[in-house]
Amino acid sequence: MTPRLNAKIAVTSLIVVAIAFAATVGLVRWVLSREYRAPERSDQAQVTPRTQALADEAAAKAKADREKPYQEETYRKFPMVGSRVAVWVLAQLHLLFAAFVLAVPLFALIIEFIGWLNRDERYDELAHEFTKLLSVSFSLTATFGAFLLFMLVLLYPKFMNYLMHVFSPTFAPYVGLFFFEAFFLYTYYYGWGKFSQVTHLLLGLGLNVVGTAIMLIANSWLTFMTTPAGVSESGAVISTWAAVHNYTWMPINIHRIIANVAFGGSVAAAYAAFKFLNAKTDEERAHYDWMGYIGNFVAICAFLPLPFAGYWLASEIYAYSQTLGLTMMGGAFSWLFIIQAVLIGNLFLGANYYLWLGMGRVQASERFQGYIKFLLILIALCFAVWATPRSIIATVSETRAMGGGAHPQLGYFGVMSAKNTAVNLLILTTYVSFLLYRRSGRTPTVSWAKLGNALQFAIAFLAGATVLFLGIYGYFVEAKVRIGLSVPQVSSVLFAMIAITAIDVLMYRNAKSLGEVNWGRIHPVSQYVLIFLAVTFTWLMGLMGYVRSGLRQHWHVYGVMRDTSVDAFTPTLGFATRVVSVTVLLFFLLIGFVFWLASLSDHKPGHAKEHA
Amino acid sequence: MRVPVGLRILLLIVGATSFYTLVGQLVPQKEVQPPKETELKKEMTADELTKAGKDIMEGKGLCTTCHTFGKSGALRFPDLAGIGARAATRRPGHSDVQYLAESIYDPNVFIVPGFNPGMPVINKPPIGLSDQEILAVIAYLQSQGGKVTVTLQSKVWPLEAVAADAQAKD
Repeated sequence: MTPRLNAKIAVTSLIVVAIAFAATVGLVRWVLSREYRAPERSDQAQVTPRTQALADEAAAKAKADREKPYQEETYRKFPMVGSRVAVWVLAQLHLLFAAFVLAVPLFALIIEFIGWLNRDERYDELAHEFTKLLSVSFSLTATFGAFLLFMLVLLYPKFMNYLMHVFSPTFAPYVGLFFFEAFFLYTYYYGWGKFSQVTHLLLGLGLNVVGTAIMLIANSWLTFMTTPAGVSESGAVISTWAAVHNYTWMPINIHRIIANVAFGGSVAAAYAAFKFLNAKTDEERAHYDWMGYIGNFVAICAFLPLPFAGYWLASEIYAYSQTLGLTMMGGAFSWLFIIQAVLIGNLFLGANYYLWLGMGRVQASERFQGYIKFLLILIALCFAVWATPRSIIATVSETRAMGGGAHPQLGYFGVMSAKNTAVNLLILTTYVSFLLYRRSGRTPTVSWAKLGNALQFAIAFLAGATVLFLGIYGYFVEAKVRIGLSVPQVSSVLFAMIAITAIDVLMYRNAKSLGEVNWGRIHPVSQYVLIFLAVTFTWLMGLMGYVRSGLRQHWHVYGVMRDTSVDAFTPTLGFATRVVSVTVLLFFLLIGFVFWLASLSDHKPGHAKEHA
Repeated sequence: MRVPVGLRILLLIVGATSFYTLVGQLVPQKEVQPPKETELKKEMTADELTKAGKDIMEGKGLCTTCHTFGKSGALRFPDLAGIGARAATRRPGHSDVQYLAESIYDPNVFIVPGFNPGMPVINKPPIGLSDQEILAVIAYLQSQGGKVTVTLQSKVWPLEAVAADAQAKD
């Protein structure tokens, strides 16, 4: 066919289609105009039963719309993942960034202060580099915070209404403090080198004070949800201060400050590791090795007392409600603490391994390396005890053979006496690792060095023996006594750490150097260990955040406001760990972005010195 | 082939996260639903009431979170096996029903020697059992070595009011 013929056919087709369409429309209109009308109503214009029904329907709808009563929504649904998961992920991301933003200024200030005291610009440079990560993180914290608030108001309006009823006096100070935090943060960061050092340190102090105050206010809201106080049985406010100062408020405050520092230190160390692994020169490697070491040191120093703060928090939960305490440790969440044991065991292993690898950069550290295998054995044993569950997943025949859910021998390691003993010995062992690292490359010159060593050994041994003895003794006494034994266990370890450190500081004053610390000369695996520690810390925060919040089970506010949503059930641990993992991956994706942005403003180490 | 540092870090993060997720899948998986209401009919036999009491204790009452049945050794809370027989002897001047009712409505009045106080008031939130549900629980506890005497029509609390009622009837 020719193109001309094709065009003709097309035009003709169009005309035929148009005529057919017009004919159809005409036919429909004709049929409608012939609609049946009742003879007695035929004089009433065009009213038919159908048009009347349509009109009535429209009028009824308009009337119903006008009279529709206002009803407050209790819940709204979030598509796909549901409201709970949406809020969960957002809250966790907000919390992780907030923890980072609160922690970094704390140790940056301490490092800057040390630099100022010792007139050492390296510390000042290091503190500045830590704070470089802050400004973008601060924006992300605020963004996630606002997002979380909108989602809570949108998805849980009734619950939010209640929280506003109880805590409305705290909102204005919260927002005000937020402005102050922005002021201090940006003047602290951008004012580096522009103010006198004392003024700059005071700005840093202001940033920390305001940041901590913000956290304290937010903590009152969330702790109230688990251990409400200051309200009547029906939930009416009696005292806002009592609602703020509820059972778990102060334990959470302390626990969070310490945990934030541990987490912030580990993430800052991961940043240093990232920079170390991408370093092009020995100078850069030396700088970032040192930065990673300091970050990790901060993390581990905060991590060691963390179990004690956790113990206080748990005891306050028990004091508020034994049911709540038992739900946490013996009920739905008991297996969560086995997962926690795996995480904490890995943190101890990783932290010790990093210290042992770090000995490689110190000359004349070989004399201590023989002890590492013993420390490793002790850590592995404690790890195994801590991760042993009380009851074991078994078939019916296996359970019969064991004579119950608990293994006849291993079951002994599943109870609190064993767990407390294991964690205290882990802390003590890690402390010994750090002590060995600290001594590498140095030898004391004081006349009483032998006595000092003997005294330190005796204290460490006695503390370990006390912990072990009380752990075993706990099996033979009633619950009332056993619960109290953890206090002397903890106290003996704390005493040992403080006493040994005091002796060590005095003993190694004016110590003789046996060799230099070659910063940068460390096996690259150590840097991956630092990143692994940061991931583990983050995951641990996600998991413990879940138990703290999930503990309420089917309550928004425990015993006061019940959760009647479709998400009122407590999910399986498998589901919870998947959500935690998604959050952790999202966090690292975003913190990677922060690292990348921080790298854009990079300058060579020593830059500050050159321009000072 | 040398794997780029960025990729190695990514693999480490994903690997560590996956490992912890796997650990989370290996532990027992239990979804805990909000407690269900146990149906209590006006006319129930002692056996039906006992059965309902057992359901309430294991469910809404959360009793078995702390208490055990037939366990010995270093326990945190009293074991309840045989409580039906023991209840009448615990507190001088208290019948088994009075002792059990007091333990539930006002649990800190009497603490079993060797144990710490810690039992919540069961008819208040967060547990908040109704009077009828508590009667069913008492029936179940009585059945542990004793005789079930309560019904859903019994009045057991407050003790003074019950005693006054009994006196008035006499």
